[in-house]
Amino acid sequence: MKTTLLLASLVAVRVLAADAAYTITDLLTASTTTASRSADWKPGQGITLEVSGMDWLADGKLAVCTRKGDVWIISNPHAAKAADVGYKLFASGLHEPLGLQVEGDSLLVVQRSEMTRLRDTDGDGEADEYLTDSRGWNVSGAYHGYAYGPKRDGKGNDWMTLNVDMGDHANNKIGWRGWAVIKGADGSIIPMCAGFRSPCGLGANREGDMFCVDQQGTWVPATPVFHLRKGIFTLNPEGLDSQNRPESPLKLAGPVPNKVPYPEAIKTVPQMVPPAVWLPYNKAGRSGTDIALCVAGGKFGPFDGQLMIAEFTDAKINRVFLEKVDGEYQGAAFPFIGGFASGIVRLSFSKEGDLFVGMTSRGWSSLGTRAYGLQRVHWNGKTEFAIKEMRAQSDGFTLVFTEPVDAATAGNVASYAMSSYTYLYSSAYGSDEIDGQTLKITAAEVSADKLSVRLKVDGLRALYVHELHADGVTTANGAKLAHANAFYTLNKIPKKP
Amino acid sequence: MRTLVLLAVLPMAAHAEPLVTGFERFHQQAPTADAGRLLFNEFGCVNCHGGDTGLPARRGPVLAGVTQREQAEWLKAFIADPATVKPGTNMPHLLNDEASAEAVLHYLGTVTPKTPFKPKGAKYMNAERGSDVFHTAGCVTCHQPGKDFQPPAGVPAAKDYTHRSVPLSELTKKYSLASLTNFLSDPLKLRPDGRMPAIELHEGDVTDLAAFLMDIQASDGSNAPNIAPFKADKALAAKGKAIVASMRCAACHELPKEVAAKPVALKENDGGCLDVKVSGVPRYDLSEAQRKALKAYLATRDAKISAKQKATLTLQALNCTACHERDGLGGPDAARKAYFTGDHNLGDTGLYPPPLTEAGRKLTPAWINDVLGGKKRARPYLQTTMPRFGKATDDLAALLAEADAKQEKPLPEGDIAAGQKLMGTMGGIGCITCHRWDKRPSLGIQALDLSTLAQRIQPGWLRDYLINPAAHRAGTLMPSFWPNGVSSNQVILGGDTDKQIASIYAFAKAGKGEPEGFPAMIAGEFELIPKDRPIIQRTFMKDVGTHAILVGFPAGIHIAYDGLHARPAMIWKGKFFDAYNTWFTRAAPFESPLGELVAKWSDPSAAADDVQFRGFKLDAAKVPTFLYDAAKVRVQERFEPKDGMLQRTLTWDAAARADIGISHPDGVTVTEAPGSAAGHRTFIYSWK
Repeated sequence: MKTTLLLASLVAVRVLAADAAYTITDLLTASTTTASRSADWKPGQGITLEVSGMDWLADGKLAVCTRKGDVWIISNPHAAKAADVGYKLFASGLHEPLGLQVEGDSLLVVQRSEMTRLRDTDGDGEADEYLTDSRGWNVSGAYHGYAYGPKRDGKGNDWMTLNVDMGDHANNKIGWRGWAVIKGADGSIIPMCAGFRSPCGLGANREGDMFCVDQQGTWVPATPVFHLRKGIFTLNPEGLDSQNRPESPLKLAGPVPNKVPYPEAIKTVPQMVPPAVWLPYNKAGRSGTDIALCVAGGKFGPFDGQLMIAEFTDAKINRVFLEKVDGEYQGAAFPFIGGFASGIVRLSFSKEGDLFVGMTSRGWSSLGTRAYGLQRVHWNGKTEFAIKEMRAQSDGFTLVFTEPVDAATAGNVASYAMSSYTYLYSSAYGSDEIDGQTLKITAAEVSADKLSVRLKVDGLRALYVHELHADGVTTANGAKLAHANAFYTLNKIPKKP
Repeated sequence: MRTLVLLAVLPMAAHAEPLVTGFERFHQQAPTADAGRLLFNEFGCVNCHGGDTGLPARRGPVLAGVTQREQAEWLKAFIADPATVKPGTNMPHLLNDEASAEAVLHYLGTVTPKTPFKPKGAKYMNAERGSDVFHTAGCVTCHQPGKDFQPPAGVPAAKDYTHRSVPLSELTKKYSLASLTNFLSDPLKLRPDGRMPAIELHEGDVTDLAAFLMDIQASDGSNAPNIAPFKADKALAAKGKAIVASMRCAACHELPKEVAAKPVALKENDGGCLDVKVSGVPRYDLSEAQRKALKAYLATRDAKISAKQKATLTLQALNCTACHERDGLGGPDAARKAYFTGDHNLGDTGLYPPPLTEAGRKLTPAWINDVLGGKKRARPYLQTTMPRFGKATDDLAALLAEADAKQEKPLPEGDIAAGQKLMGTMGGIGCITCHRWDKRPSLGIQALDLSTLAQRIQPGWLRDYLINPAAHRAGTLMPSFWPNGVSSNQVILGGDTDKQIASIYAFAKAGKGEPEGFPAMIAGEFELIPKDRPIIQRTFMKDVGTHAILVGFPAGIHIAYDGLHARPAMIWKGKFFDAYNTWFTRAAPFESPLGELVAKWSDPSAAADDVQFRGFKLDAAKVPTFLYDAAKVRVQERFEPKDGMLQRTLTWDAAARADIGISHPDGVTVTEAPGSAAGHRTFIYSWK
């Protein structure tokens, strides 16, 4: 532990100039750097805290599982000094667990092979039961056969997601690879929906609906956030063979199309649903990894009810606002907080309203230079001037700001620029933005309370990403937006009221 | 998705003259004879006109087999008009019509290599990772970064680029994926002159890099272009041969004797290639500064140059100065600095390659040669990798030694034990607080390994450095423990600075032991050694499967349980398990036990009916009891070593089910313990 403390003291607190509304504090960051695919990577000294799952115990301690296979109980996680944070090993020897959820006196972790229920029955602070709680997906031994979860939705379903296999031993023909499943009775799983590639993060919104974030790659043109429901198909057909099993809730009529614009592809497959939001590549991250509902009760800025999307490659967090249009979720992504120490894999809000950021970037590249760690984000009580919400209208968008705007700049159409584009749906790795158009903003009407602006826009296109730049908008004091861009996934254009 | 869309930072068209980075950075403003010497070498003037610049030979690429490696259309266009296809190229313009270029191409089609070109195609690739390699391994210190890649501190501003980047052709038109991968895996094979050095990359990284450079986004490479087969036309080839001979291509390129080129003596120091407007002779489109430099050199070209000048020009010719500063010149400019990543905890020294000022005095020639040969690296935390330059650097260590030689004041004899004490944390100055020692991580930031100190560093320089580190390495975090020559440790060796430094050097040179203060070391770094309780670890294991649960006992007898079929699978003894791959290797290989195999159970296809694994429980001794349901009857199964044997106990509700299927491994003697009965059976496995 000594080493950890020494290192922590070197880099204890980072206040980011660009995000001064928030302070990032290290609980523990690795003394080793990332070394993508290095054959002889080694962890640093101290605890190898490659955070892969987080949840909160009733007493305010933080339970963390790690890729190496340990579960740590972290006491005093809000301590001002890293030295005052305590670590106690609760369980070990698990096989790359990638999610953890507290349930009563148990911790549920999803390992490569199963969901396991860990319990300490004799009160010595260590798990003595490692019971199989749910299993039934195929584990081929391919490195990419990761399993994530569980996360509970509003109806009490425990969701898990399963990567498609890649590399040696890969076998996507059997066993629900690329599917989302829920825990069934007596240790089984119930397959729910298909079409994922690397659905690394799950999270429910305030209404209790479950979402998952997938990652750009083959068949997945950019990072999408999907609302999970039974019987839907999302993007990646590589795991579709499992639909031929009797338990499958869906059966596509034929093969999916290849190399067609996404808005066309989705029309040819009835079960295919669009993501609630796309996070355009590079502009709003590169590899989304987790979803955390902001439930800070105002202690994390004015973003309660919004989703925080963890970003691996860029080591940052994007923010997502969702609304329902015609019964389906859609909404906007906003760049938010950056500069984390490593690739972010897990996010979790504490009761106190801080956001805990769990990281490990072993095996992939990240702008975060440390190999792993745990950091805490605290809101300093200073509201950053931001676009809080972006809502679709039949003829444009309504922007809701965190602070009153300057009527002159916000009411000037020249303060804004908008373009729309979509993606090519194909087996290739990711997609460029295609079929782009610059849209004309014809009016910008500032509300009486100066907290919102109604933009009228010519040429909205359903199923296209609408990218907004509001660089010219300021507050009455002339302050500019912390992040002036937003990305609205306009699956449906609202009907005229 | 990242594609190689180059930043339009410095438009090439505005700089049509051939690029020699060292000239453009350090000589353009004041073109001297030295600058001319550099150009005379780098443009290949010396290859045609003879003489000796004293600099590493600049040669053209290997042309044997070029039509198998590069697209004929691209080759033809390049031969016809090099600077248009690749602005900034050092290949001069030689031909005036496309027909001649076509003929040369056909001649080259007849020049075949000794071994035919048969590149291996990769199965999987990831252009996105290739972009990371391109932008972090060091490629962009010479070549232009792509605009989609975001370095940690953001994309640099155009004004931060002080000079042009080394041009890349349109690679998608020039190569196939396989041929570019083949080239990148060792550029020195096809370009032995070292101007494109070889960067050490893992095999997969090279494929990814090539996929990125060629913008191949499908992970299976299904949209990768191939080289169209080229068949040389005899008549055209004969015509081409005559052109190649008359254009004297063999002066720069290795070609068959039939087209050999003899040197062309220089009669004047002006006109000819140096002329502003010429045709029919090699045309270089020289800038005014370049022309001025070449003339200055030619006027004095018989003058001798010092080793210092020669060293400077050699480092500029090979563009070592792209990464390394020497005597205040070079190192990456502000824009390119943005792409250096590494260990921020080490400050600037954790990001940027070291300066080469006094390198010949600082480093031993053997170490320099090992570094140049790719055998030794001192700074594993730098994401950029020091490339190999091949034979171009054969004489560099000796040259630097000569250039940087200084009258050294000899150090006194060192005391090895005192040196060991000094480097440790138990009463020493604690070098290992920050520095690694061989495989031992330091106690804090991971500064470079000091166990190789004496192999690397010469004692005279070491003394100067330790007294004032910042004077020798700008931005170093290294404090002086001998400020102004006075030791901060007045206990060891009476505080004698020279004796202390000599002792540190002597201890490192002796190569025995390590400084005091490292934490106690375990036998194998990630070997799991059960000591006072069993260790349980899940993994993928050969002959056990993807649900293997390993149990290592302190008694040295271990088992693997197959958690998929709920059955024991393997017994071994001795060492338990090396967890490195399971814990830290992304490829997640199937593992084997570390110790000696005792017995295996037969294939799981013969496993009992309707079995559901239910996990395990630990008792007070932390021994697991495995749980499974056999046709809905709960069975508990426990293993424990006893007197060099393994005891296996199965318990179940005999009222629900009289018997359960129990199989035993081959190669052991099975004894059923007294008192064994339905619902509670105990077996003892023993072996020789």
